[in-house]
Amino acid sequence: MDTQFLVSLSIILATFGLYIGIAIYNKAKETSDFYVAGRGVPPIFNGMAIGADWMSAASFIGMAGTIMLLGYDGLAYIMGWTGGYLLLTFLLAPQLRKYGRYTVPEFIGDRYNSHPARVIAALCTIIISFTYSIGQLSGSGVVIGRLFEIDARLGTMIGVVLIAFYAAFGGMKGITWTQVAQYSILIIAYLIPVIFMSLQITNNPAPWLSYGALVGQMGELDRELGISEYFAPFTNGTKWQFLALMFTLMCGTAGLPHVIVRFYTVSTMKAARWSGAWALLFIGLLYLSAPAYAAFSRFILMTKVAGQRITELPAWTTTWVDTGKLTVADNNNDGILQWSELIISNDIVVMATPEIANLGTFVIGLVAAGAMAAALSTAGGLMISISSSFAHDIYYRVMRPNATEKKRLSVARWSIVLATLFAGLIALNPPGAITQIVAWAFALATGTFFPALVLGVWWKRSNAQGVIAGLLVGLTVTLSYIFAAKYGGFTVLGIIDTGAGVFGAAAAIIANVVVSLATPAPSQKIQEEVMDLRYPEQMVYKDGEVWMNEDGNKSI
Amino acid sequence: MKKIDKSVADQYFREKNRFMILYFVIWFIVSYGAVLFAETLSNITINGFPFHYFMGAQGAVLTFIILLFVNAKVSDRIDKKYGIDEAENVKLSQGKTVDH
Repeated sequence: MDTQFLVSLSIILATFGLYIGIAIYNKAKETSDFYVAGRGVPPIFNGMAIGADWMSAASFIGMAGTIMLLGYDGLAYIMGWTGGYLLLTFLLAPQLRKYGRYTVPEFIGDRYNSHPARVIAALCTIIISFTYSIGQLSGSGVVIGRLFEIDARLGTMIGVVLIAFYAAFGGMKGITWTQVAQYSILIIAYLIPVIFMSLQITNNPAPWLSYGALVGQMGELDRELGISEYFAPFTNGTKWQFLALMFTLMCGTAGLPHVIVRFYTVSTMKAARWSGAWALLFIGLLYLSAPAYAAFSRFILMTKVAGQRITELPAWTTTWVDTGKLTVADNNNDGILQWSELIISNDIVVMATPEIANLGTFVIGLVAAGAMAAALSTAGGLMISISSSFAHDIYYRVMRPNATEKKRLSVARWSIVLATLFAGLIALNPPGAITQIVAWAFALATGTFFPALVLGVWWKRSNAQGVIAGLLVGLTVTLSYIFAAKYGGFTVLGIIDTGAGVFGAAAAIIANVVVSLATPAPSQKIQEEVMDLRYPEQMVYKDGEVWMNEDGNKSI
Repeated sequence: MKKIDKSVADQYFREKNRFMILYFVIWFIVSYGAVLFAETLSNITINGFPFHYFMGAQGAVLTFIILLFVNAKVSDRIDKKYGIDEAENVKLSQGKTVDH
């Protein structure tokens, strides 16, 4: 029980108090306020909320570490996770907003007018969100493990309980202002250490401009050690793997159910476009800083930790060794820790660097609070999309259309608790680094929802048989490739498990198009609804003609 | 409701798509293009960074952000040109989905 523990814990508790306070304040306001029609959150704040939903443990805890270990090859994550917002904002978000449904499976079920498609889409949502949440849980395990100085696995168990409570009794679900607060905490927590490190190393408070100066020095260090140079391209994989991973992350971004749902809550198509733009600006702030974080961490590790006498290592090493994510072993018994004898997991770089750089207890505590905000806000969104897929799309829309509200709510809560427990079990022994697990979720979204949604919005001829074939083929191909590449050593052009989405998406698009063309066209009504998505809300497509709505609700 | 010429509506759709295609071309060049030619670009240095690294870490992301804002602005202008009234849109979309 040291000062660091007390400081970290109190900052985490204070931020939790803030989120809960905002949630309660807004709840109270909502019931006392009379219902104002057309009220919406301004796009700029909606953008922040999307940012909080979006930036998970993978972005906050995992990404900088992944970039640090992969060098240039890790930048596929940066470009992929930001570039996807163009696909989402141009091709899908405004159109889905105009169509107006509660969940992604509901859009697919209604657009294709098919219950089997709805159920398959709901199952895909559950699989994707479930995979994603394994990454979040193992992230919370890292944070809690460090906090209590226990094994990360024990930390994961505590995280499971926290997240299950948070989402199941979530007064906070869908409350935009809480997410605005979470965004603010996590971005401050991320930027402060990078700025401090930048000042420490380069005397320049703008890390984005200053870390280029390290290029020369790091290159020299790399050459001395005889390892591949940090900034050199394609040292950890082929160029095709880089491109495939980037493609997978981009299309996955546009197909992730818990992100798309956020665009259903904006007021109009125009608001959807602006929300997408603001969201990427806020997300970009963290993504532009992550490579700087990575470069500074690597520089500090190489210059201040490697080369030390093993008996004189600073105190932070033992606490991280306790979590099981850091290994320091004097393999050649010369009493000095060489760079190659230091094995650091991707997942602890962001958390450990403030300690390594000696940034003080407050900053270290703040980073822990930011990481918890990232893991919790995303895990909450994921659990809600799992429970709504099951309770709303499968249970209510297909199995029991006349279930009471109360019954549906309890089904939703139980599905959250079970999903969290099960994901927690897998996270105890995570099958990969956080970013890698999350990349699988993106591969699955790329192979299933991206083709189904894009064809559903942009191609009226696509029909129920086509989308069912597409979803099933995409899911099978993506899953098989992930397993074959990870456990069977099977690769094409050096594309490994994280790039699997390329094959899934290609197969799904071909299956959807071929089967759609081989079977009868969808009904006139459905085709008209799809045509209607080309125009803004005010223009309505009907019987081959376009009508302009100029007097509001009266005429629809 | 007032009927409008189908060709006007199609014009709206085409105009927006033309811009969208332009954005996607730029999007492709700054991300996929920069990766495809990474080895060649690494000989150029910008602000201390080899150019391929700069594009991956900063250049592409900044371009994406700018493109999204340009799209939002340009779409607003196109909407205005075709007489779309945002207040009317807000009324029309009410109650169609969850209102948080």
